[in-house]
Amino acid sequence: MSERTILLIEPDIVLANTYIDVLKKKGFSVSHVVSAQDAVIAADAKKPDLVICELQLVSHSGIEFLYEFRSYPDWRHIPVIVLSLVPMTEFKDSMFGLVNRLGVVRYLYKPMTGLIELIREVDFVIG
Amino acid sequence: MDPARQTKDYLLPHHLLLSIAEQMKLPLLQIARQAELVNFSGDLNGVVGIQVLTANALRLIDAYSLSLQLKNGVACELTPEATSIASVLYDVNRQLQTFARMYNVQLELNIGGRFEPVIAHKKGLESAIIGLASAFIETLPAQVNGGDLKLQLATHRCRYGIVAGVYADIPGLRSEALSRGRKLYGRSRQPLVDVSHTSGAGIFVADAIFKAMSLKMHASRHHHLYGLGVVLKTSSQLSLV
Repeated sequence: MSERTILLIEPDIVLANTYIDVLKKKGFSVSHVVSAQDAVIAADAKKPDLVICELQLVSHSGIEFLYEFRSYPDWRHIPVIVLSLVPMTEFKDSMFGLVNRLGVVRYLYKPMTGLIELIREVDFVIG
Repeated sequence: MDPARQTKDYLLPHHLLLSIAEQMKLPLLQIARQAELVNFSGDLNGVVGIQVLTANALRLIDAYSLSLQLKNGVACELTPEATSIASVLYDVNRQLQTFARMYNVQLELNIGGRFEPVIAHKKGLESAIIGLASAFIETLPAQVNGGDLKLQLATHRCRYGIVAGVYADIPGLRSEALSRGRKLYGRSRQPLVDVSHTSGAGIFVADAIFKAMSLKMHASRHHHLYGLGVVLKTSSQLSLV
């Protein structure tokens, strides 16, 4: 099986480096970007098998990115894991939209998601 | 408190506390994941990173405490003194070098020319500039992928005195963004949404410290860079010394 590619959208590079390190060790290829705009460019350059996305980004939010991302037919079925500092409780009224319209397959609250749990979720989605 | 006054006073203590609480999640999270990675890979180099992140988080807490002490007038040891801005910036640069390297940011001093001493709380000035610089260091890599990330601790003259501040290539950092951020902080997770992905607590703690020192932080330019700085008045008597 070819190497699975993950597009990681994470604005904090110290945190991103720990995620990249552990995902690479598990055999995934990781393309890291810090903003919504760069994410669209990176996805266009190489179609990812999975997107891991923080919602708190500079200028354009992760939600804005997801709307943009889903507007392209080629990317409509790529699974998205939200890994965010924003607690899921803040989306309790819009969870239906996140799952059904934006294709979010997992919502992980960053402070409560360790590296091992992240790997487990990634494996489950694209492993 | 009178609600009208409450909306005008952008530096309410509980807003600052909320901002700090939101901000502190980041270093704690970084430390937790680094520790997990050390455990996972056995690479002890990660421990150095944990030390640097911890030291910086503690500096922010110290700055926050100082802002409260100054506001409440209990920081009696912090009497204004003749202060060399260059030496303050030099100390900040030295303290934040390793933290800046973690974020691939080149932290530079830009002190062109000789500047006469100013009367200021040296510790307050240092803590505020550390808060500003730390916030900029965290956010600079989140603006652009890769590239040359430079942050300047700089000083220059203006018609009202000497400006000391922190400057980088962040075009979104303008007076309007700062004034919007002042209205939103403590209420929004990202009050400076065009500048930072965090709560920007370092910036608002600096704002609180400057305010307690009867100074006002402004968005300003240093050559072609954008940043935040404060105008310090020189003492003509000290100039003679």
